Amino acid sequence: MSTPIKLTINGQSCSCQAGQTILEVASANNIYIPTLCWMKDRSPWGGCRVCIVEIEGSPKVVPACATPAADGSAVTTNSPRLQRLRKMTLELLFSERNHVCPICPMNKGDCGLQHQGYPHGVDSIRFPYLFPALSMDLTGRYFGLDHNRCILCTRCVRTCDEIEGVHTLDIANRGEKNEVVVDLHVGLGESETCTQCGACVAACPTGALFDKAQTYRGKLHSCRTVKTTCPECPVGCGLEVFTKEDRIVEVFGDSDSQLNAGHLCKKGRYETWAAPRHRITQPLLHGKPVSWDEALAFVRQARATSPVWESVLLASPRLTNEAAHAIHAVADKLDRVGTYVVPNEAALVDAPEQPGDVAQHLAEADAFILLGVQPVRDHGVIAARVRTGVRKRGAKLVILDCRRSDLDAYADIAVREVSLERKFWARVAEVLRDAKRPVLIYGPTAMTPVGVSVLDKLTEVFRAQGTGEGPALVGLPSGVNSIGMVAAGVEPVEEVAPWLDAKPVQYLHLVLGDEPDGGAQLLEEKHMADLLAGIPCVVVQASYRSKLTDAAQVVLPATIWAEKTGTLTNFTGRMLPLRPVVPVRGAGRDDAAIVEAVYA
Amino acid sequence: MSANGKVSVATMWLSGCSGCHMSFLDLDERLLDLSKLVDIKASPIVDIKFDQMPEVDVGIVEGCVNNDEEAEHLRHLRDRCKILIALGDCAIMGNVPALRNQFRLADCLTRGYVDTESTQIGEIPSDPVLPQLLARARPLQEVVKVDVSIPGCPPDADTIWYALTELLAGRMPQWNERNLKYD
Repeated sequence: MSTPIKLTINGQSCSCQAGQTILEVASANNIYIPTLCWMKDRSPWGGCRVCIVEIEGSPKVVPACATPAADGSAVTTNSPRLQRLRKMTLELLFSERNHVCPICPMNKGDCGLQHQGYPHGVDSIRFPYLFPALSMDLTGRYFGLDHNRCILCTRCVRTCDEIEGVHTLDIANRGEKNEVVVDLHVGLGESETCTQCGACVAACPTGALFDKAQTYRGKLHSCRTVKTTCPECPVGCGLEVFTKEDRIVEVFGDSDSQLNAGHLCKKGRYETWAAPRHRITQPLLHGKPVSWDEALAFVRQARATSPVWESVLLASPRLTNEAAHAIHAVADKLDRVGTYVVPNEAALVDAPEQPGDVAQHLAEADAFILLGVQPVRDHGVIAARVRTGVRKRGAKLVILDCRRSDLDAYADIAVREVSLERKFWARVAEVLRDAKRPVLIYGPTAMTPVGVSVLDKLTEVFRAQGTGEGPALVGLPSGVNSIGMVAAGVEPVEEVAPWLDAKPVQYLHLVLGDEPDGGAQLLEEKHMADLLAGIPCVVVQASYRSKLTDAAQVVLPATIWAEKTGTLTNFTGRMLPLRPVVPVRGAGRDDAAIVEAVYA
Repeated sequence: MSANGKVSVATMWLSGCSGCHMSFLDLDERLLDLSKLVDIKASPIVDIKFDQMPEVDVGIVEGCVNNDEEAEHLRHLRDRCKILIALGDCAIMGNVPALRNQFRLADCLTRGYVDTESTQIGEIPSDPVLPQLLARARPLQEVVKVDVSIPGCPPDADTIWYALTELLAGRMPQWNERNLKYD
């Protein structure tokens, strides 16, 4: 521990550690310094010059966010001169591009530039407006980039680089031609590196980066917010959902969530609400809307005519623990109940072995070994941690038996098929030689014989290096709540066709919940629509229309994540709450309640 | 100062939507209080010809300067008033009328008079009696000296009331996060 530094800010004596910035010391002592380009957990930029302060004895003003506190210095954060300079800086920012507040979606409370303009009394701009002819990039699926409103604070660039770790955005050109660019100057929709995590949009203080679905639908600061859990993968990131008049207006990461610390991937940030889907709001009998009573009467009649030994229930691994318990409770009224999962998921969810604090392990890891997981596709926030770990901390990265992804570019070793040859493992050992805090992130494939032998080899490698216990193990299932569903007693079904065909089936109840497209993607891989054709009575319980609901005799409308109360069990085994965000649409009912009503 | 001891005022409507004047009328019953203190000598709402514009204490201008006629009217008012107030975002920074500044004037005119979807045979008006559009719409302060700015699109009645009462009391309005807004 170095000796503390002592300084005064506005006459108030403060102390701090060497390396802390003036802004950090000031905020630790409740002294306000206005900021614009500064952002928590991002590297300081010092570009906007709004946080300038005076240091006694120095004729210059310095940006508080990027200046380390010096021992014995006397800092002033507010003076007529600083006020004058800040106001002028803000006026220059306003005059540089086309900041037309009345037509901007961030107007009335969501704009960081307005937030600074008001207290600094910017009532007019003394500099000539440049009125530059600038473009707007609307090629992206979920968000757009309007250069007219950009103040070049680089919060998006730093976020893209330091939080998501892809560095899609950067600044190009010089002087007044300075602009944010995507990759090597392509449209957002054409970018090969952008993961569409939308963290840049959340970081943008103005309306330069904006979510298309949010635009003009409500001022965020006047929205109701609910903190809930992301329903899209087993990581279970915290969500902060903004609603206005019972509609979802925006979804951001919950900055209080230890796991994702405000960050999200495309699935949580957009696919939860901004992707168009065909919602089912009414029970359907042979494709025609009917009342719940009629639908349930038909299902009960169908059950009465189908023998119990020819009745099965197959559920999505996305349901809540409460729905899983409801399904388990009615299992004796059916021949078999199961939840469909990817191959080898059963063994993975059976043995969840996780280090105590996964977030911390990921944040401090100096080597990542990925085995049979697809974090870029399935668990975007984990992929971001791996990327930033490799790029920012120089962590080693060994990718074994994973699909191709952008992580390959950062990997020391990336192989599709693992070799058990001595030479290969000597290479792995060389890469991991100095790893003190290695983390092994594995998926279902690790549960195959090949996977297990790889685990053995890795254990050998670490044992030979004398690094003690070997890597911290982080198992990532594929199904959103397969851990919770299996823990509730629902049988995991890896191969749906043989499971269904094992005995004749008269009655099939498919509980899909709010699977996007009714789980069609996964079930189509399993030729589910073909399998349904041979079953006399198919009841599909789903929130969204799909080929499966089209093939069903009866469709029972289920609520979606944003309407549910319940829990999901994440990959670490923690039960995370789903909280209702919006009222139930139409006649939708909770999955557990529907199952109870059908088998009452 | 008028002969009756009141402060004389003229208001002017340049390139704007008249929303700022509407907002002024939103002063409602406060207009009665105001009328005890000021005389409105000229305004788009009190029919007066340009060449009859009297000398006044305060000129209030809504909208930006889009053509040569507006520039002349503004300079005319500036010459005849002691304090010039830019009322609203168009007057202060161009705002919506200035969105055209990103394009060439000829392109704007072609889009407006020739390429409009409902136009069959279009022609850009060229009669010399018509005011000529400037190459770009300009905020007031690029044309004349402005003494007070009241931002907002439009500034709401309370904001206008605050600024006017401060000026009548002989003080400059002080803008801060409590009374300032750009929309």
